[in-house]
Amino acid sequence: MTRSLVDIAYVRAGDKGDSVSVGVLAKSPEYYAQVVASVTPKTVAALYGDWVQGEIEVFPMPNIDGCLVLMHDALGGSATNTLRFDQTAKSLGTAILRLPAIAP
Amino acid sequence: MPNTLKNTSVRLGCGAGFWGDAFDPALELAERGNLDFLCFDFLAELTMSLLQRVRAKDPGQGYVPDMVNWFADLAAPAKASGTTLVCNGGGVNPRAGAEALAKAMQVKGIAGRKIGVVAGDDVLGRLQAFRDAGMKLTHMRTGEDGFDRIKSKVVSANVYLGSDGIIEALEGGSEIVVTGRVTDSALFIGPAMHRLGWGFDQPDRIASAITVGHILECAAGCTGGMSSRFDQMPRMGEVGFPIAEISGDGTATISKLPGSGGHVDQFTVKEHLVYEIGDPRSYFTPDGVADFTAPHIEETGADVVRVTGMRGKARPDSLKLLIGYSDGWIGEGLLMFPWPNAHARARKAEETLRERFKRLGLASSAISFNYIGLNMLHGPAAPIPASDNLNEVGLRVAVKTASRDEAEKVRRACSQLWIMGPGGTSFGAPMKPRPTIALWPTLVPRDLVSHSVEYITS
Repeated sequence: MTRSLVDIAYVRAGDKGDSVSVGVLAKSPEYYAQVVASVTPKTVAALYGDWVQGEIEVFPMPNIDGCLVLMHDALGGSATNTLRFDQTAKSLGTAILRLPAIAP
Repeated sequence: MPNTLKNTSVRLGCGAGFWGDAFDPALELAERGNLDFLCFDFLAELTMSLLQRVRAKDPGQGYVPDMVNWFADLAAPAKASGTTLVCNGGGVNPRAGAEALAKAMQVKGIAGRKIGVVAGDDVLGRLQAFRDAGMKLTHMRTGEDGFDRIKSKVVSANVYLGSDGIIEALEGGSEIVVTGRVTDSALFIGPAMHRLGWGFDQPDRIASAITVGHILECAAGCTGGMSSRFDQMPRMGEVGFPIAEISGDGTATISKLPGSGGHVDQFTVKEHLVYEIGDPRSYFTPDGVADFTAPHIEETGADVVRVTGMRGKARPDSLKLLIGYSDGWIGEGLLMFPWPNAHARARKAEETLRERFKRLGLASSAISFNYIGLNMLHGPAAPIPASDNLNEVGLRVAVKTASRDEAEKVRRACSQLWIMGPGGTSFGAPMKPRPTIALWPTLVPRDLVSHSVEYITS
């Protein structure tokens, strides 16, 4: 069975203005290469569809065996005026773990 | 026992990660943390606008009321432990907050304590002067120059100040420091710089303080709260808030009180390092720019994590100014549907609500429907199951309107489905319309904004 990121990574998500940031951390250093191969602007854009309106950036963080996904115009406003129930995108972030784990 | 390594290291604790956080972990840190400083973050992006509204009704208000009660209760144990208390609970009226605190301390018989008040962040009254001086106040993210479009709706305008004011207040002998809008991390950076004698010409050292401040600033956020491994965190209802010890060489350890709930391990710390940040190579603060791809994080003992190798760049010439403005109303409703055919009932209810909105002439700028149990949290990322055999499904509707009256129509339409809606629907209590604030972040030159420090004695 194909593995997904939920098997090899943890996430922590948060907001700043209309941006959503999702830190993705490999559960073990041996999974780091798979994490950065799996989490790309393209795979993330396909996952979230029209809930992310702006640019998606992925920054590798080899020092902590992870990466930081930054999605712009992704909260439907900001935490203070979005129509979303998940006002600070903390729940939205875990959807990253649905991505298939791709071999580097 | 007092810390005998003062000036070669500093011991900091976090007493609150937001206005509404638990008090008992802060009290434990004040009593048993052997801390030099106990620091409290009470402010979020929305808080300044809420407090400005409170102040508009009563000029003597506008600070975080919890701060007064908390600090009055903490003043004695903190004094006994040699711990200085620092917070941004002054909100939009730090002087009034400090005065209220001094009074509350006097009632408890605590006299002669020096409270430093740091202000200067509130530029609400200066926005027109900024515009008159030719400043565009361009929106940081969108690049939009049209500030005048929102001018009449502005509620709050606060510059995120750095550590300068806190350092000055500590140099002035403050035993308690109450500030307005300083960055969350400044609450830790200021005390660290003051105690360790660091200057802004030491960007790597400042980066250490920024990194540690960022890790600590959400309290339980690095001791098991919000953790991906929450199921493995012991006794989270008795969680310990974090403690950091920073050495003069810029290395640091993160820990918590022995016997408290939660954990400090490599993942609780790493997860918080990536929390609410932008480009990790350049984490901007008014005090410096930290590179979060530099620190090395390792477990060195039970509930002890060592953070080393922090790097950074000098502080920027611009400061972030966050302007909050009134942005209409949100009307919302929540309906729950049972098996059988829960999803189909919810869909039919959405159709019915849309018909009601039309009949009521609802004027809105955006309408959002989500299915609780299916896609409310993950949106398009959530696969919808093919079969409708779920135990229950909810329908949530949220509507953006210009006025309260329009938002009220959403509540009315949802209530009307009590009888004209699908059989088996449950509604709970109706949800009240709420006013919303939009944010306009911009940059202003550092030399345009200066902090002030004054002192009040209890």
